[in-house]
Amino acid sequence: MTAGPAGDGAESATRAAAPPVARRSSLPAWWRSNTSRRLAFGYLLLAPAALYVALLVGIPFLFSLYLAVSDANVGEPVATFVGLENFRAAWEMETFWIALRNSVVFLVVAAVFKSLLGTSLAFLLLQNFKGKKLVRGLVVIPFTLPISVSVLSWKWMYDSQFSVINWGLHKAGLIGGYGSESWPIWLGQPHLALLACIGVNVWRSFPFSAIVLLAGFTSVPTEVLDAARVDGCTFFQRFRHVVTPMIFPILIIGFLFDTVFTLSDLSVVYLLTQGGPGNATQILPVLAYQIGIQAGSLGRGAAIALMLVPLLFPALFLMLRNLKRRDW
Amino acid sequence: MTAVAAPRTHRQKEIRRHLLLYAGMTPFLFIAVFPIYWMAITAFKQESDLYRMGNIPFWFNLPPTLKNFETLFYQTNYGYWIINTLTISAWVALITLVTAVPAGYALARLRLPGAENIGIAIFMTYLVPGIILFLPLSRVVASLGLQDSWWALVVVYPTFTIPFCTWLMMGFFKTVPMEMEEAARVDGCGQLGALIRVILPVSLPGILTSVIFAFTLSMQDFLYGLAFVAPGDQKPVPVGVPTELIRGDVFFWGSIMAAALLVGLPVAILYNFFLDKFIQGITGGVGK
Repeated sequence: MTAGPAGDGAESATRAAAPPVARRSSLPAWWRSNTSRRLAFGYLLLAPAALYVALLVGIPFLFSLYLAVSDANVGEPVATFVGLENFRAAWEMETFWIALRNSVVFLVVAAVFKSLLGTSLAFLLLQNFKGKKLVRGLVVIPFTLPISVSVLSWKWMYDSQFSVINWGLHKAGLIGGYGSESWPIWLGQPHLALLACIGVNVWRSFPFSAIVLLAGFTSVPTEVLDAARVDGCTFFQRFRHVVTPMIFPILIIGFLFDTVFTLSDLSVVYLLTQGGPGNATQILPVLAYQIGIQAGSLGRGAAIALMLVPLLFPALFLMLRNLKRRDW
Repeated sequence: MTAVAAPRTHRQKEIRRHLLLYAGMTPFLFIAVFPIYWMAITAFKQESDLYRMGNIPFWFNLPPTLKNFETLFYQTNYGYWIINTLTISAWVALITLVTAVPAGYALARLRLPGAENIGIAIFMTYLVPGIILFLPLSRVVASLGLQDSWWALVVVYPTFTIPFCTWLMMGFFKTVPMEMEEAARVDGCGQLGALIRVILPVSLPGILTSVIFAFTLSMQDFLYGLAFVAPGDQKPVPVGVPTELIRGDVFFWGSIMAAALLVGLPVAILYNFFLDKFIQGITGGVGK
């Protein structure tokens, strides 16, 4: 093995493999200390990742703040400062408020269904049964499939005339035939369209909720549960006072991840309805894309995208606190 | 087994329990898998078989066909998209590897002052949504002269793979016993020597996991590809299929589903194997 520089002054005298003294003395003073060499090495290793992230996440984030207060356009390279004009324009835009409301409704309704489905699935997967691995593998496919790809399958299932969902409902006698009053046009009727988009989000994320919960449940040591049982706790008491507090940090993280993903995802709505019919499914990410890229108004688009920050902020704050408290 | 009143055997109890569990699982499985089944069966159906509402649509009413796949490869840019996707992902994996592995190591092992906060800061950038970054990044991409080329995505995708994989590698390196490194140092390895000769070889599983995530997370993107890459032959599959195969109101569902299936399924299966690592990565050691 080739020897790197090992040990510093006093130490090296006792080491057989110490490099020659002459070479050593020509090195700068700081290099002679083990600690500073370790730190230099450490920061050197850290630098590429830190720089990449700083240059392509940090600076663009600050740049988006700048865009939001400028009249930047796709066509013109020069932008001038316009103050809060973009925010004022958004404020006065009816579509913006519709998008904001839909984003919040989307988030809340989807979260309710994801928690219900996710919790029940987690309890089922907590049991031991034959074929559990296979079942688990199948049930998480919605989460692992690239989203833009799976949305296409839903678009086909929501087809206005040849929807397989409607075929099933019709054969079950729940709805009339194509063209009748009760034949739902999933992506064409305002309330249904929003529900249809939420459905795809729930479909994609409930396995994630279940797996995160499952990770939480299995992290609770059985001894703790046994101790609680010996002390006379009922199932619900054990659940309420032992399991829930213990898995709370994991729950929070899963919840926050999902919140960030759901609020900022554009693919489901963009691919299913483009925000339509009318503005029935318009959400902030789609609006920001339409205004920023399709209409080329970078400043205004950036302002609308930044409106997500106040919505995301509580989530990010909780996450940060949670990570900071972690046992290192 | 003869009398109903006889005490139930353990085996019978187990069967009963299993039946109940399977019954409980069925709706979940149905919801999760049906859209994929529907995708698969549509991909192999003949065009006219898709629009016969009189028949049961869940199976083939006309003989299955490979025509949809043929159309895909002969009449669209699908071949390019696959090559683009693989090349982009390979570059992203490479960039992620050479940045995230050293960074994870430095943060986990070298007792840097502030390592904890730096680690958290890098991980938090994973949570900055693309929807906030894509407009400024479109300027960055344009100033690099990469607009309308898949290279734009090679530059942009590491913004989410590096934070995630650095975090993952950090957790991984923490599990490698300190003694291994100390032994290497005593044996005369330098800092770098110890890392390359001792730590990296035992960390191969973690490194492989990072590569898989760089690959699969790249394929989960839609927004950046949509915003930065317009030419038809430059797109990756997850962007090309929904934007190029759907023209106005004419849908070639057979080909679209074939395209989605062909790339989506391998990614889903690969990701599936590493899903636990993903969950571990984001939830960290919180629950221990």
